[in-house]
Amino acid sequence: MKQSLTGNAHAYTTLLQETTRLLRPYLSKRISFSNEVDDILQEILVSIHKARHTFDGNRPYKPWAFAIARFRLQDHLRSHYADHLHHAEEITKLEETLQMDVTETDFSYESISAEVEKLPEKQATILRMMHQEGYTAKEIAEKTGMKESAVKVAAHRAYKVLRQRLER
Amino acid sequence: MDNIDNLISKLSQDAKAVKPAHHPVLLSLEWITFIVFYLAVSLMISSIRPDLMVKFQHPWFIAEIVALVAVFITTSFSAAFLSFPDIYQKRFIVLAPIISFALFALVMFLAWRADSPPSPAPVHSIECTLNITLMAILPAALVFYVMRKFASTHHYWSGSTILISAFSIGALWLRLYEQTNSISHLITCHYLPMIGIGLIGMWMGKVFLKW
Repeated sequence: MKQSLTGNAHAYTTLLQETTRLLRPYLSKRISFSNEVDDILQEILVSIHKARHTFDGNRPYKPWAFAIARFRLQDHLRSHYADHLHHAEEITKLEETLQMDVTETDFSYESISAEVEKLPEKQATILRMMHQEGYTAKEIAEKTGMKESAVKVAAHRAYKVLRQRLER
Repeated sequence: MDNIDNLISKLSQDAKAVKPAHHPVLLSLEWITFIVFYLAVSLMISSIRPDLMVKFQHPWFIAEIVALVAVFITTSFSAAFLSFPDIYQKRFIVLAPIISFALFALVMFLAWRADSPPSPAPVHSIECTLNITLMAILPAALVFYVMRKFASTHHYWSGSTILISAFSIGALWLRLYEQTNSISHLITCHYLPMIGIGLIGMWMGKVFLKW
């Protein structure tokens, strides 16, 4: 650090690389997502760069770097939880929903079955196998000789058509 | 990982030689010198209380002034150390204002007990707080300005110590200028607002010391 304060770019690069190596496990222990670890690490490196004049080389480097790391981590966590709170539903809004009977729907089993029968043969078969006979998309693919992705796409299209018809 | 490597190379290219900041003791001595000079000039303009020499024969007055000076000095030192992200690796310095503040509270309590029969309170009340606050604006602004150039990681505590330091110099000025002997007036209008000022300082620290 002493050398980097004098403008030695090579020493500074080594210092920042070593700092990254030092701080990554510290951050990984506290944050679960690796992309967030990288983001915070970048913030910390920028902060170390901005604050490097507050380090004179007469005291240990690690506590100084960790003080900045801790500060930026707390900042990140604070804004992270503040964001979560911001996007959270208010409990008073949820109360109205909670009182509703969520098992009650506008559609009966018979009406859905009737609409399924009106679907193209392939889509109707897939839906029947999935929801009446309990097959998975992979098993249906094996039985019908289709690709698994094709089964999923067909099912998805069928749901879309059903939703439109039932909501009419 | 690539992003970090890119960032490191960018920062390294930008790494010009920097002059390390002064030692916090030196920094606080610079602040103290300026603020004492400011106090002296203010007292020259406003003139000192006429009975000051007589008052300096009263032990409780001397104790009060000494304790107030201790609050000013410890908060100034504390603020200077708090300017550094790692508190210059001397965390105990940050606790010094608590000790001096407790000592000051004790002195005022004993002075209040000794003020018997109680000295008459002046007719004014809130004006004292306003005068102290006005007197404190310049030192507070100066220290906030200087501290923004550093990298404090303790915004609340820093803001609080800065404002208490500035407010204590305002209180010292008023004590040396205003001819008031009522301890209950001093406590309610001069010194108790310090607690509120400390809380405002926390908020100001959060706002102004962000980096």
